Amino acid sequence: MKSVTTLYLIITGLAAFSGSAFAADVARGENQFEYWCATCHGPDMQEGRYLAGTAALLVKYDGQLPGALAERTDLAVEYVKFVVRQGSEGMPFFRKTEVSESELEDIAAYLSRTDR
Amino acid sequence: MPIKLPAGISQRRFDSAIRELQEIVGSEWVFTSEADVETYRDSYSIRWGHDDEYFASAAVAPASVEEVQGIVRIANEYEIPVYSISTGKNLTYGGAAPTYSGSIVLDLKRMNRVLEIDDKRNFAVVEPGCSYFDLYEYIQSRGLKVWIDCPDPGWGSPLGNALDNGVGYTGSPFRDHWGAHCGLEVVLANGDIIRTGMGANPNSESWQDYRYGAGPDVDGLFTQGNYGVVTKMGFWLMPQPEAWFTGTVTVPKYSDLAELIRQHNYLEDSLLLNGRTTFGSAYGGFGGGGGLREEVSALVAGGWPTTAELDAFVERTGQPAWTLQMQFFGPEKSLQARWDYVQRRISEAIPGATFGDEEMLTMPLSPAQETTHRRVDFGIPNMSNYGMMARRPGVIDPPDGHSDFLVVASRSADSVHRFARTNYEMQMELGLPVTASPFATPVTWFPRFFLMGAAGIWTQHNDPELNMEGRIQFEAMIRKFSAAGYPNYRTNPSNFDVLAEQFSFNNNALLRFQETLKDAADPNGILSPGRYGIWPKRLREDRA
Repeated sequence: MKSVTTLYLIITGLAAFSGSAFAADVARGENQFEYWCATCHGPDMQEGRYLAGTAALLVKYDGQLPGALAERTDLAVEYVKFVVRQGSEGMPFFRKTEVSESELEDIAAYLSRTDR
Repeated sequence: MPIKLPAGISQRRFDSAIRELQEIVGSEWVFTSEADVETYRDSYSIRWGHDDEYFASAAVAPASVEEVQGIVRIANEYEIPVYSISTGKNLTYGGAAPTYSGSIVLDLKRMNRVLEIDDKRNFAVVEPGCSYFDLYEYIQSRGLKVWIDCPDPGWGSPLGNALDNGVGYTGSPFRDHWGAHCGLEVVLANGDIIRTGMGANPNSESWQDYRYGAGPDVDGLFTQGNYGVVTKMGFWLMPQPEAWFTGTVTVPKYSDLAELIRQHNYLEDSLLLNGRTTFGSAYGGFGGGGGLREEVSALVAGGWPTTAELDAFVERTGQPAWTLQMQFFGPEKSLQARWDYVQRRISEAIPGATFGDEEMLTMPLSPAQETTHRRVDFGIPNMSNYGMMARRPGVIDPPDGHSDFLVVASRSADSVHRFARTNYEMQMELGLPVTASPFATPVTWFPRFFLMGAAGIWTQHNDPELNMEGRIQFEAMIRKFSAAGYPNYRTNPSNFDVLAEQFSFNNNALLRFQETLKDAADPNGILSPGRYGIWPKRLREDRA
């Protein structure tokens, strides 16, 4: 028990420490998502705007998952970060001068948020 | 991917240069890890997975002109080439990758400011990292009454796109992005900063009004070139028009294209027709790929048909041969008057011409109209065109990239039809599927000249053999079409040297002149070596 408590303290301590410099921020992530991602992955398909990413994901998952990324509930932080840096199909990868590491953390936090 | 250093540069020397670069821009903005350098590959490269794919050795991202000067100084000191990019999204034409492996990418994305907008004199001044989205948002958030002219992907750089002779979709004087620029600031290879045109007079207020200044105009050296790092560029902007109008002309006979193009040229050059036009055909149009009707295929299978045979074919099938959609900008009454004139003029010139699909809209578009109209026609940046790359029903393995094939043709039916026949002969010669169509239509994005499209190639990251097939095909196409008088207006970096070879008048005197200038302006050959086939002396000797 003691060891678990210690581990918990270490983890929260790390989180608290990282909070000053690296803590991901969902609100900032939403802004970054709107700026960098929503032009292809936004929810506007129903308004008649064709969005390549949203349309492609609807086909990829055969409608079993939402096409718009912000409506997904299955996205993990590491997966989001991987796709942004590695690209996927016709979507090229993004450099750190475009989406910085902290901005990417924010975007990943936004897309993987659980309070909804 | 192991990082390749520039040829002739030791690891120790390279590391020393990196340390000096870090002192200039901060260590956060010098990228040397394999993972970071990988993001400077060209995602659309037709050399993807090949031994001679172009790789950077590192990247450095300045935040100011002074930092660019410092980087150039170090590049000279260490004789390490730097390859400048703006937003790095010039996909199909190189992306963020250098054209000489081992170069350090000079990533200007952080220099992303809109420096000035004037909606009375109608111009903007931007830095390289500013995107079309950024410029549009800047204008909209301030309620300014000017339009930008953007290409299909809105994440590109107005400055970078103009430097690569990019093109858009609004008013005629603005679609040629280089043609609409006015005034540059450039960091030269020796670290000097120049301002061109009236910007060279420190007291002038007309940098964005008069492009040429006095004496030789040097701006053209910086398009598709490697004579400097452009850090600021001015653009002329179109005032928001009162209205937009479109109408379509349809002409019946195959042989009517000659007169239809003459009418198009008259209207365009008279500035009566001041928006984009689109030639089409019920029998296919554009490059002929994909839209070729079975009847046309059957006709072509019997050998390339004559104009008389095509006239008879069109009469037999009963569909009119050609359409020309026109777009106009201006006050409503003026647009209606111009359309009335177009109908009268073309009716007199081409018997059987009909007119339809008219639509008049007042500007700006409503949000609902933005969803039903092609936004780039109205200077609204977006990414919709990426659908051509996207997974969609029936396409479960979409490509990772594409390389377009567009050549310059003159504005005549003879030129258009001869291109189509050249395309047919080329496809037969290379053993490619015959998609060439006698109904190929010109692409009229640019005013004053036509582009003609042949089948481009798709690329896949997991299929280097496919990429090699495409690469061989693409090079053969450049040679074939250039030999017939149709060189490309731009191309992917894999073919920069091949395309430069095609401009061979007087034993490539133009390229030799460009090389003379390169050697004088950049004696150490540190700026973007190899861009559009221009190599500095020391690398020309290595390559000989």
